[in-house]
Amino acid sequence: MKKIDITLTVNGEPHEMAVAPGERLVDVLRERLGLTGTKEGCGEGECGACTINMDGQAVLSCLMLAVQADGATILTIEGLQKGADLHPLQEAFISESAVQCGYCTPGMIMASDALIRNTPSPTQGMIRDALANNICRCTGYDRPVKAVLKAASHMKERTNG
Amino acid sequence: MSVALKFEGYHRPGNVDQALEVLTEYGNNAQVIAGGTDILPQRPGGKNAGNGKHLVDIAHMGLDYIKEGKDGIHIGAAATINRIGAFPLFSSSPYLALSEAVACHSTQTIRNRATMGGNVCNASPCADLALPLLAFDVRLMVTGPGGNRQIPIQDFYMGTNLCALDSNEMLLEICIPFCEEKTGTAFLKLGRQQTAIDMALVNVATSLTMKGQCCNTVRIALGSVGPVPFRATTAEAILAGNRPDKETIHQAAKAAADASAPIDDIRATAAYRKKMVAILVRQALENSLRRYKS
Ligand SMILES: Cc1cc2nc3c(=O)[nH]c(=O)nc-3n(C[C@H](O)[C@H](O)[C@H](O)COP(=O)(O)OP(=O)(O)OC[C@H]3O[C@@H](n4cnc5c(N)ncnc54)[C@H](O)[C@@H]3O)c2cc1C
Ligand code: FES
Ligand code: FES
Repeated sequence: MKKIDITLTVNGEPHEMAVAPGERLVDVLRERLGLTGTKEGCGEGECGACTINMDGQAVLSCLMLAVQADGATILTIEGLQKGADLHPLQEAFISESAVQCGYCTPGMIMASDALIRNTPSPTQGMIRDALANNICRCTGYDRPVKAVLKAASHMKERTNG
Repeated sequence: MSVALKFEGYHRPGNVDQALEVLTEYGNNAQVIAGGTDILPQRPGGKNAGNGKHLVDIAHMGLDYIKEGKDGIHIGAAATINRIGAFPLFSSSPYLALSEAVACHSTQTIRNRATMGGNVCNASPCADLALPLLAFDVRLMVTGPGGNRQIPIQDFYMGTNLCALDSNEMLLEICIPFCEEKTGTAFLKLGRQQTAIDMALVNVATSLTMKGQCCNTVRIALGSVGPVPFRATTAEAILAGNRPDKETIHQAAKAAADASAPIDDIRATAAYRKKMVAILVRQALENSLRRYKS
């Protein structure tokens, strides 16, 4: 089986590697690059734990082959924090108690991050639509929605002020 | 736990000729991959377990266009469903069946990768986008070693997960003819509504084009209630040439239910699905009529 050379820019850092045709993006992120913030829940596109941001859009890293991401710019949960400062979404998930076991949280936050980048002032309905692929077994959905609303308004204040 | 899917090769053609070369070389061992959202969730023994060993990735062939031509809207096989949903013309009244089906297809996250072409070629009986495409009577442009050919969507489905493509052919684009004036369309999906990613129990799309007080062209497409998505032509004939009054719509909806051949499975019984066909078709026809008027 012939391996394929690919390039990925992950959280600002370029990576070159040779992957097998059947290697999934989630495995490359977690096992080759050690970025275990991205979780795998179902591996079938249903739970959203593996959500990342690729070229500005939320995608499921379990439903993609690494070869399909060749040349892409990827952001994972590890790339949101700036130095010691958490991202406003991370802050808001904590302050709104939107996290319990935390397994769904990286996926929820990456889906929310893609939403806010494309729509800085999302409505509740838009947030629920953007998080429709993210299943949480502990917290429920009201708190994450509140957290996203809070983070979005903080981020707007910051850019305006 | 890491999962290595069993593919022996990956090919990334830069144009149609290169793609056809790979498809011809590997024959039944080759498989086109667009978004991969149907191909990649492989369960052992599941419907995708016998997949082609050589993937042919069509994402780099310039096939991600959506554009208006002389005869209609041309959608390249690699255009993602979210991009298609954002195409401005599709939010205008005659095309609402399509935008409604897009909104009911999976989730934002999956639609960022999944394509309309993949939804059609996978030939699932419950594929959501197949229904508006049947209601719009679209043509599929297919290419192979002998050149291009057009297949009307009605002739495309051969059986569950089986379409009219030969192993060395691929879908190039979908052409949606411009809707005639005085047309209203609608799509409805009944899911189990537990999660946003439920596949349909029953899904329908309808299209009504009026002439004076009477229906001129009528199309009624049914999904999840037979081996493939299909048109309920007997039901269409009840409305064509007649006034779409309450009784005639009721008769057509009943004929659509009679034409359906659903199965019992873990998600719903055949009897329930059949009853729901009549209800969904009636509602979709009423929505189409209301939209034509407004
Ligand atoms: C969690 C989840 C939820 C889903 N929800 C829905 C839903 O609500 N409604 C729905 O209809 N579907 C749903 N699907 C199924 C799937 O997302 C869709 O069918 C999707 O549109 C397939 O597109 P794709 O580009 O990902 O196809 P792929 O997986 O790339 O391909 C699908 C099939 O078509 C063939 N193919 C693709 N493109 C071509 C081409 N150009 N020429 C020849 N053959 C081709 C492939 O070889 C393969 O057999 C869901 C899937 C998942 C995982
Ligand atoms: S692990 Fe990707 S959606 Fe569940
Ligand atoms: S916090 Fe446990 S799954 Fe969401």
